[in-house]
Amino acid sequence: MSNSDATLANDKVSGADETGGDRRLWWRPPPTVRTPGSHHPLSWSKLPTLVRRLIVFAVLVAFWQMYMSVKHPNPLLFSGPAAAATAFVDGWRNGQIASATATTLEVLLIGMAIGLALGLVFTILATVSTVGKDFVMLMTAMLNPLPSIAILPLAIIWFGLNNNAMIFVIANAVAWPMAINMSTGFTTVNPTLLMAARNLGLRRWRMIKDVLLPAGLPFIMSGVKVSWAFGWRTVIAAELIFGTAGGSGGLGYYINTSQYFLKVPDVFAGLITIAIIGIAVEMLLNLFERRTVVRWGMQRA
Amino acid sequence: MASRVARIKKGGAPVGDTTGADAPGDPSIEGTGPDLLLSANGPQPQRDLPARAASNSLPDSDSTLLSLEHVRISYRLRRSVVEAVGDATFQMDRHERLMLIGPSGCGKSTLLKAVAGFIEPEGGTIRFDGRSDLTPGPDRAVVFQEFDQLFPWRTVIENVAYPLRVTGHERAEARQRAEFFLEMTGLAAAADRHPHELSGGMKQRVAIARALALEPAMLLMDEPFGSLDAITRVRLQGELKRIADRTRVAIFFVTHSILEALTLGDRIVVLGSPPSHVRTVVDVRELGGPTDPRYIEVQQHLHEQLGATDKDLSGVEL
Ligand SMILES: Nc1ncnc2c1ncn2[C@@H]1O[C@H](COP(=O)(O)OP(=O)(O)O)[C@@H](O)[C@H]1O
Ligand SMILES: [Mg+2]
Repeated sequence: MSNSDATLANDKVSGADETGGDRRLWWRPPPTVRTPGSHHPLSWSKLPTLVRRLIVFAVLVAFWQMYMSVKHPNPLLFSGPAAAATAFVDGWRNGQIASATATTLEVLLIGMAIGLALGLVFTILATVSTVGKDFVMLMTAMLNPLPSIAILPLAIIWFGLNNNAMIFVIANAVAWPMAINMSTGFTTVNPTLLMAARNLGLRRWRMIKDVLLPAGLPFIMSGVKVSWAFGWRTVIAAELIFGTAGGSGGLGYYINTSQYFLKVPDVFAGLITIAIIGIAVEMLLNLFERRTVVRWGMQRA
Repeated sequence: MASRVARIKKGGAPVGDTTGADAPGDPSIEGTGPDLLLSANGPQPQRDLPARAASNSLPDSDSTLLSLEHVRISYRLRRSVVEAVGDATFQMDRHERLMLIGPSGCGKSTLLKAVAGFIEPEGGTIRFDGRSDLTPGPDRAVVFQEFDQLFPWRTVIENVAYPLRVTGHERAEARQRAEFFLEMTGLAAAADRHPHELSGGMKQRVAIARALALEPAMLLMDEPFGSLDAITRVRLQGELKRIADRTRVAIFFVTHSILEALTLGDRIVVLGSPPSHVRTVVDVRELGGPTDPRYIEVQQHLHEQLGATDKDLSGVEL
């Protein structure tokens, strides 16, 4: 308690003009007040993000191990963190997981690139013409709620049992949420900013490229995040369903065959790989946001 | 860009020609722009203005820059029609500073947007530089009332330089010119910041620098200092006055403050309540300072004109 009192007194000297400043200090003292001598309790939110996340991760693994040690589940059905980690390391060492991951990511990235491009084209169509808008509205209303995996049977008929069928399905999963978010981004641009841009003589392509796209970036980024999640789910589900395509199987196929041969630790290794890629992509997107929309004051961190 | 070229071809005194020494179309103007622009007293930026700075000017042959004749503007809502401007008729000369004043809601912003080309009048004609088919363009650079008219993703200097790139300037020249106008508006130190890192007054100054850098024939300003604190407002008014004295850019200035109109204007156009028409036009060029008895008389007159049009005098500062 004496700690807080000291903080309060200190603030009275430095910034008493700030209304409500006193109360603010009870929960977040400004850095100037924190002298080296003062012993604040080590608070969770002050730790670096990475450390916080690692601690959470360690706790989760500990619970997992605890379950293993207490319940002793059948090793044919469930594996512990140690076995999963071993399978993970072995899988990466012998190149099986690496090649499965490469296959999956290749299909996913091509599908997403096509889907993002389509989303952008649809949004621009909807922006520049009323017919385009009607078309895009109708298509998104029909196709966005449809689980993309549901069109896999059709895609297999059209493209055959190969990567193209999966790319088609992924592009479909990505294009519609992208179009929806991007249109929202375009239509919510501040009207004053738009008038300023028109006053400078910006038209059509320049208006889209230099005003609408950056101004809509916060929405575009949430579109990319949703699209990533949709695309990732879709590709794994598709691989689980039809296994190998074009000779080399992806992560979904790896999980499926491991299960078939009762190699449960390998199943876990596959799932861990998926989780790690998910975390990595999330971090990458957040980094991009920090460098752009957050830095520009268009979105809070 | 085509119109820009066309006007340059006509040739003419630069906007910044305060001396009148150079004949219109005199090729020697090329490169002497900066000196002309800075010929008035006051703090002078060190850097020279790029050569093209003075080129976006108008011929002096016809003294009328802008004329509105029986302009009528209404907004169509779903069920009703809002008649904002009933009948606006007035002219504006080149290099003139015209202040448009009136109670809030009387259609000042509407008129400004019509002159800028964002709104097409329902009736009457607006002529600018001989043209009556007005679309938005950098020859009538607008400074809006709102702070969020800057591109948040561009730094201060990019906000000023980018429009210059759009209007066809080379990269290096655009940057040089942006630096010049940032210095003029006292923003050189903030050049590499993003708009969200600036105060409201600084943002408005960036918007003014951006508009000035385009060397427009006319600057349209919609209560640009309306949402600033009193001290910042007075300082920016002084700065604008100095810059306008130097560049002689024509200013179409919307305000609801009599004091601001008297401080900055050559003439003051008073609008009545909507559907508004011009109640009176006051020439304040001949007036002395606030101690001049006529100044007080004019102030009183304006006050009456505004007071008679709107009971709500509380919105009008004296
Ligand atoms: N976009 C709009 N839609 C409908 N009515 C509007 C719109 N903009 C302004 N108005 C109306 O037109 C009138 C004039 O508005 P405005 O030009 O903004 O006034 P001022 O700038 O003088 O305060 C007001 O009655 C206002 O409500
Ligand atoms: Mg207004």
